[in-house]
Amino acid sequence: MPVSRRRFLKVGAIGSSLTLGDYLRIANAEGQLDNDRSAVLVFLGGGPAHQDTFDMKPNAPSEYRGQFEPIRTSVPGVEICEHLPKLATRANQYAVIRGISHSLADHGLGTRYLMTGNLPTPVVDYPMFGSVVSKEFPTAADLPSFVSIERPVEGPGYLGAEYAPLSTGEKPRFGQPFRVRGITLDGTMTLDRYRRRRQLVDDIDKAFSQYESMDDSVRSLDKFSQQAYQIISSPKARSAFDLSLEADREVERFGRHEFGQSLLLTTRLIESGVRFVTVLLEGWDTHQDNFNQLGRQLLPNLDQSLSAMLDRFGEQGRLDSTAILVTGEFGRTPKVNNNAGRDHWARAMSSLMAGGKIRTGQYIGETDAKAAGPVGSGFTPDDLAASFFQNIGIDPKTEYNANVGRPITLIRDGSPIPELFS
Amino acid sequence: MYQSASHSRVFHGHGLVFTFCLLLLSETDSTQAETLPSADQRYKTTNQSEVPDFQRHVVPLLGRLGCNSRNCHGSFQGRGDFRLSLFGYDFGMDHRGLIGDAASTEGRRIEQGNAPNSLILRKPTLQAEHEGGLRFTTDSWEYRLLLRWVNSGARNSPDSQELNRLELFPTEVLFDDQNESTSLQVIAIWKNGDREDVTPLCRFRTNDDSIAEVSKDGVVRSTGSGDTHVIAFYDNGVASVPVLRPFSSSTFQPIRTDSATAPIDRMVAAKLNKLRIPPSEQCSDAEFLRRASIDLTGTLPMPDETRKFLSDPRVDKRSAKIDQLLDRPAYAAWWTNKLCDYTGCNPQQQAELGQELSVQWYMWIFSRLNRNVPYDELVRDIVLAQGRNPEQTFQEYTTETSSYFQKGFESEFAKRKTMPHYWTRRSMQEPERAAEAFAHNFLGVRLQCAQCHKHPFAPWTQKDYQDFGRFFKTVKFGVRPDDREVYRQLAATVGLNVRGDDGAPIRNDALRRLAGGATYPWRELYIGEREQAEKVSLLRSGSVTLEGKADPRQPIMAWMNQPTNPWFARAFVNRVWASYFHQGIVDPPDDLNPANPPSHPQLLDWLATGFVQNDYDMKWLHREIVSSKTYQRSSEPSGPNRFDQKNLSRAVPRRLPAEVVYDGVKQVVGSSQQAEHVREDLTRRATGHLSMRLAGTYAMQIFGKPERAVNCDCERNNHPTLLQSVFLQNDPIIEQRLENSGWLSEIAAAETAGEAPPLQDLIEEAWLRALCRMPNQKEIDRSVTHLDESESLASGLEDLLWALLNTKEFLLIK
Repeated sequence: MPVSRRRFLKVGAIGSSLTLGDYLRIANAEGQLDNDRSAVLVFLGGGPAHQDTFDMKPNAPSEYRGQFEPIRTSVPGVEICEHLPKLATRANQYAVIRGISHSLADHGLGTRYLMTGNLPTPVVDYPMFGSVVSKEFPTAADLPSFVSIERPVEGPGYLGAEYAPLSTGEKPRFGQPFRVRGITLDGTMTLDRYRRRRQLVDDIDKAFSQYESMDDSVRSLDKFSQQAYQIISSPKARSAFDLSLEADREVERFGRHEFGQSLLLTTRLIESGVRFVTVLLEGWDTHQDNFNQLGRQLLPNLDQSLSAMLDRFGEQGRLDSTAILVTGEFGRTPKVNNNAGRDHWARAMSSLMAGGKIRTGQYIGETDAKAAGPVGSGFTPDDLAASFFQNIGIDPKTEYNANVGRPITLIRDGSPIPELFS
Repeated sequence: MYQSASHSRVFHGHGLVFTFCLLLLSETDSTQAETLPSADQRYKTTNQSEVPDFQRHVVPLLGRLGCNSRNCHGSFQGRGDFRLSLFGYDFGMDHRGLIGDAASTEGRRIEQGNAPNSLILRKPTLQAEHEGGLRFTTDSWEYRLLLRWVNSGARNSPDSQELNRLELFPTEVLFDDQNESTSLQVIAIWKNGDREDVTPLCRFRTNDDSIAEVSKDGVVRSTGSGDTHVIAFYDNGVASVPVLRPFSSSTFQPIRTDSATAPIDRMVAAKLNKLRIPPSEQCSDAEFLRRASIDLTGTLPMPDETRKFLSDPRVDKRSAKIDQLLDRPAYAAWWTNKLCDYTGCNPQQQAELGQELSVQWYMWIFSRLNRNVPYDELVRDIVLAQGRNPEQTFQEYTTETSSYFQKGFESEFAKRKTMPHYWTRRSMQEPERAAEAFAHNFLGVRLQCAQCHKHPFAPWTQKDYQDFGRFFKTVKFGVRPDDREVYRQLAATVGLNVRGDDGAPIRNDALRRLAGGATYPWRELYIGEREQAEKVSLLRSGSVTLEGKADPRQPIMAWMNQPTNPWFARAFVNRVWASYFHQGIVDPPDDLNPANPPSHPQLLDWLATGFVQNDYDMKWLHREIVSSKTYQRSSEPSGPNRFDQKNLSRAVPRRLPAEVVYDGVKQVVGSSQQAEHVREDLTRRATGHLSMRLAGTYAMQIFGKPERAVNCDCERNNHPTLLQSVFLQNDPIIEQRLENSGWLSEIAAAETAGEAPPLQDLIEEAWLRALCRMPNQKEIDRSVTHLDESESLASGLEDLLWALLNTKEFLLIK
């Protein structure tokens, strides 16, 4: 009989001695993995200026519209920033959601809101997308299911530490070998000896066997230990992180810069079978010198690397199975400040979605003449998150028996934006 | 619906029960006035002539209706061009927002001549479009109250009125059954003696809705077994009530206590009895020894120590062991790490020479813990620190400070009376940042929220925040105006580049010359002159006039040192408690606020009072906790207590702290001749003098040694992660440790010489090293099989050590 995940979770909740590690082994043995699902979250940390990227207002007074000109895209009637020419020609490969609106113009709280789809509250620690995905879709045991490039952006929350991402600790840099310390066996240790060691651990590590499921620390330690073993003993993980296996032209296509290298690694990880990759592209908190920072570096780099990722997923036929969300934590002030910068602004922002079942080539939602707020009620981060989950194949109304002792709805207040899927 | 706006990362929900600091104002309502009935009663009918008060009635009503919450008009951007102060404590702003010219395109918020046409009545009743939906109907008391206020002139309150306290009834709710319910009543007592039933004007919140729910009218309903608190908010008052429902265990036998029972155990038992939770058995001797050694000294017990302890027949051997552990320098070393956590010792934030200064900081605290200096004295010498003694000249000061970097004299710094590095950190240069850090470090209070709005869970207003910041304005780090000339000359002699008047940091390139005995000009910590006298409030505990060159930190220290101070001792005992258990009595331990009540209020009071009465003797505190039955419980569940995570009915396993993992691995592989040395040589331990040198390294990072960069105890992260498992299985550091293991080379040598000890002895030794207990027969058999199959005895044992390091039992405190 195949083991149903939900059944396992229920069993786990009443304290069976079946560990998640056991479950993964059983699930893997029985081929329960749904290999057709993966997702990428490109987090533009700092909050990119929506009006200088995907929601331009060329007719607004100059102190609002800023210094950039719009250019046409491959979608008739839609224009985006002149510094995004490659994305302009690919406008039919993604959808842009404008007029997402909230009120948490603080990096910490805003990030938390956007990454969890729930208004932050001090009483419930909501999980980040990737943690939910790694809970819902176990990956092959010899790969981490959830990787964060450099460091985590929000954590597993009430789902528990076992669903935290593996963080790479650093970003890949052009021309330098990239390795995540310790994840592959080095010269002196043979696979056979490593296996024998592991067997020994499994046989002697019985101190908690009667009550392993009770405590988060015990449970997650068991899971991580099993998984570390699988990862280290498999050639798959080594290859997944090894950017030196990429052809030069791929490296050039994505770009030698940090964004390019990070998205190249993201692509490679997804192709290897990692379920969820969070990639943090920072620098968007442009309180000063907004236009130089965007125009000279941030936008050209994003344009090149994101286009390359879309192209490559397209070439590999992976776009349908890979849900992509590109977002920051908020937008930026309508009016340019005295330092040629824009400050935090949560009432309006734009995000981009691609892959999966998204109907691409459309621009959904609208902001007012100064891009200050949505026309009509706009969308909330909850809606955005519900849409992303829907696209990944997770019902946003799924309930979890969280560690707060009551069932919690994954996305309480939002619902998928219908236009994205029609 | 109440939406909280705490900026705290996690809020697990408990709170302070002790009546809040307003009591310290020694204001008494001497004449017990009659209690005014609640507003819903008074405005039941249209013929109420009483004029509602803006502060007492209108703003709280808007709060309860959710109008000033963060996702409505309390948002900093407002909503629909209408903004209210978040959590409603800026009456001037709120009043201005409602009256006068303030109007939207749809009309006036308040229409004096035609009150029912006011937007504040039409919008919430949906007579006009309102994004916030229907808040009340036109035949409700809420409507009548607001209408009456508008009709009577919509006035602001006369001056600010101060709430004395809130009283919440009943004082405890004990349910028997699912869905049972009870109504709460909240009485506001104002400073002028007025009393009013404000139940319908409060916001209510439950800290755990799997145990109890609370309606907006204050009706509490039981939803599950266990205990939590329901919190009421009104004006700037916060009150809480414990809500409990026992687990229905028919076989439950109450825990008996008598006069011989330790106070900790008595208070913990009282609550377990109330909840009918049977505690777990006491842990085994081996478990106790490992647990206590780690918690008290950050050190795994050595094999010989364990053997001796296990065979010791004395009944009081545990308490003898506790005394012994407390006497070891390793106790001082490990707890210095914790005090460095609490005080924020961070190489990155030092004013200069980050590594050296943070090591000085560590060693200064270490020398005090080693002498068991009372906690208040230790803190006083940090809080009141200055660069130099009053009788010292600048020249003498720089000579002295330079001498601490001279080769062979490094340990002299610890002999300084005061430790100025706390204040000279770059993160402390802005007075308001210093205030936030100070409140967090010594009071366990998070003031940050009050920077932008009234604190959602505490009485702190923006004024309290700013006032506290004002204290630190004259705490200066730089060059005193009188010394500028001498400073410049000295800088010129050593070739230090200085721009401006305030001196320059000493850079790493100076270290070599300093070691050779050179004298450098050092900037110093001093108290500048206040431009004009200021009268400021000291966190609502009376006011202080600050003037001239008087040290503004003096009155704060004097206040903290009063036995009645509500936070100083509590914050510390609670933090210490939290490091012996998986959570604090107040949790998170650094968030003492009235909406986060303690799980065991009497226990927290008893510990804090006892700590003060014992002259802030830290060893007293450790001894009380570690000697208790509560601490010495097994982690194995008793059955019904398997769901209990907050009543201390069993030991919840905790992961070893980063430093202990690092030292522990070294100790497990170390040579047997040097065993004692490895354990005792603090200069080579991550829990010891290497603590600050290792800060920020890979191993410390992945095992969660805190960076101490933000004001949050949560920075020390003891959760397991995938990378930790990867580390223990395959990191180059672990590989090296095993390859270079002194113990394994001894065995290899003995094996070559044909003198290998019996397998069983070696297996026992391995178990004692890593898990600090004897192996059982099954474990011995399995190990023998492995050793028999191995290429050599040494390589088989290497595998065994590796395996032991990778058990859950090694990484967890069972």
